[in-house]
Amino acid sequence: MLVDDKYFLGVDVGSVSTNMVLLRPDNTVKEALYLRTQGRPMQIIQEGIKLLRSKIGKSAEIMGVGATGSARQLAATLLGADVVKNEITAHAVAASRVNPQVQTILEIGGQDSKIIILRDGVVSDFAMNTVCAAGTGSFLDQQASRLGIKIEEFGPLALEAKNPVRIAGRCSVFAESDMIHKQQLGHSLPDILAGLCQAMVRNYLNNVGKNKDIKGPIFFQGGVAANPGICKAFEEELGQPIIVPENYDVMGALGAAYLAQEKVGSRPGTRTQFRGLDLGETHFLAKSFDCTGCANRCEVVEITQDGRSLARWGDRCGKWSVAGVADTAISGLEQKEEQQGA
Amino acid sequence: MRIGFPRALYYFDHFPFWAGFFHRLGIEVVTSPATHRQIMEQGLKKASDETCLPLKLLAGHIQALKDVDWIFLPRIVSVEADTYTCPKFLGIPESLLPAVPPGMPVLTVTLNWRKGKRQVLKDLEVLGAQLSQDKADIRKAFNEGLEWQQRYQDTMGAGWNFEESIREIERAAKDLTESAKVPTLVTWKERMFAKMSSTALKPTAELPIVDQNRDRLRIALVGHSYLTHESYANLNLLRKLREKANVELVQNVNQEEVETNLSGLRKKLFWSHSKQIFGAGNKFAEDQSVEGIIYLTCFGCGTDSMVQELVSRRAREQHKPYMVITLDEHSGEAGLVTRLEAFLDMVERRRVHEGYVSTYGECLDRDSNAL
Repeated sequence: MLVDDKYFLGVDVGSVSTNMVLLRPDNTVKEALYLRTQGRPMQIIQEGIKLLRSKIGKSAEIMGVGATGSARQLAATLLGADVVKNEITAHAVAASRVNPQVQTILEIGGQDSKIIILRDGVVSDFAMNTVCAAGTGSFLDQQASRLGIKIEEFGPLALEAKNPVRIAGRCSVFAESDMIHKQQLGHSLPDILAGLCQAMVRNYLNNVGKNKDIKGPIFFQGGVAANPGICKAFEEELGQPIIVPENYDVMGALGAAYLAQEKVGSRPGTRTQFRGLDLGETHFLAKSFDCTGCANRCEVVEITQDGRSLARWGDRCGKWSVAGVADTAISGLEQKEEQQGA
Repeated sequence: MRIGFPRALYYFDHFPFWAGFFHRLGIEVVTSPATHRQIMEQGLKKASDETCLPLKLLAGHIQALKDVDWIFLPRIVSVEADTYTCPKFLGIPESLLPAVPPGMPVLTVTLNWRKGKRQVLKDLEVLGAQLSQDKADIRKAFNEGLEWQQRYQDTMGAGWNFEESIREIERAAKDLTESAKVPTLVTWKERMFAKMSSTALKPTAELPIVDQNRDRLRIALVGHSYLTHESYANLNLLRKLREKANVELVQNVNQEEVETNLSGLRKKLFWSHSKQIFGAGNKFAEDQSVEGIIYLTCFGCGTDSMVQELVSRRAREQHKPYMVITLDEHSGEAGLVTRLEAFLDMVERRRVHEGYVSTYGECLDRDSNAL
């Protein structure tokens, strides 16, 4: 086996995109995948693994796997991850490996946005957006489709603006009605788009960036970093250059791969729990049922592989998740449920 | 006679007083069950959309009270001199009448400690008249209530277990055959004493509240009692936190400490809960052994909107990791778990980075760089 046939795998399963990164032992990126989750995380993870295998071949060895993102638990179960970490830590680790000097990370994804403050390579403060999705990629997607342009054209068009209009960015509902007013007054499309970018950046800084000590170098990562209009708006607002790292859209996955490397490297001799590259061929199934044990009626999810139970979660009391990894799949579950519910 | 007491809002602070009060009068107090999905859903349906989560939960608990003769909804205006309770407390019971099942009588009383003990007694006598109790009995019941409350308050402190203490009170309140005695609560002083004289206390099946392991993180959780101890609505936050760290609560800080930590404010805080939260938060911010502060609030809380900002400033002055968690009616755990994990990760990585200096001075780190 060739030496450079060994990789660490990082997987970031978010609400909008599922990203995978293959990291060589010398810390260079071999492959980076950016796939749309489309609400089917299990299938997409399998598809991703298939794609990776077709690129690196069967003989390649995966030395460790890290999972992150909002579906990290699911991903970890499916893949057999060695380390499962939240997105904040993953993003911070990736950025500080790429550039140890970085002090601020702006991250805007599909459904959430966050700011991470680093000092000397360690997270010292962070914030995530609350219930409101006004400052995220989905909002931009929505507005682009309303204006009838592709999301890829959004940024370049915004850069053409001469006189960006002022749009209320506090709330996406107000922003939309404000935008329609400006359209009807005859403002040009680039001016409106640039105005939207500025509104979004203002909203982000007021909301997520409130009270944060933003110092350079500043990294901008996440899917929205592909939009040069937003980058420009950030630079204007912060008065500092914004760095978009090379793998800006898969930084979470990259961080997970680094964490897997850290974990496996720290304990020599341990083998990865990765379930193998032929994962794409096996049959995974997720089933859910309402537990009738108490009035909470928790929705319990069970993941099975070829009829064998891998994991369960969703219960508040822990009775299913602890009973967990038995050989009894969902058919056996119903009996058990009756027994315990009685 | 059976009086229904909803397990929400003031239950978390003042239940022992009312339990003792009614116990002395020979009235059984029935509490609603711990919050579950149906209670929350019922509450969301009946309460005003504009109000906050704790009030919505109260609306749910009112409907969960079955087989009772009265539903007890006191209007607690003030619990001590110079302060008021949150304005939403003052709107009870009127704001919650839509949630009361038709035909169910509501028992209420206005309590205002600002006007002094005499006025409180007078108001309680009016309540007593409705229950056909004479004044002398009300006076005795009042003292009994105070005694129960005091006893309960004495259980707070290191190793305090809210569920355990309150369960004991509920048991005593239900048992009318028992001679009218204060419930057998272990106060924290007794607990400390028991520990010092090395007589092992009965082991609790639950997780240990205070783990002696010095390597564990120490995190302060500040917020209203009806949020920090409402384990359904806060998605078991306290328990999740205790799995990873030793947790300090607002209730563990006694009144004198709260008062001394209020200095430095240009103006007095006039809400009693906020005063407690700020005083405790300030103490935690200055306490070097507390490694991070989590502020638990809920969407639409008016008093927190100001106090949260005040606490965050104190935390920032002390370079203390600080995070706000805002609760609403959502039941998705993922967001909460992500934030919690990230916060604990941050505190832990920071500790490694700074070279943790043990308070026992055993392992001073030459690389330690104070902020």
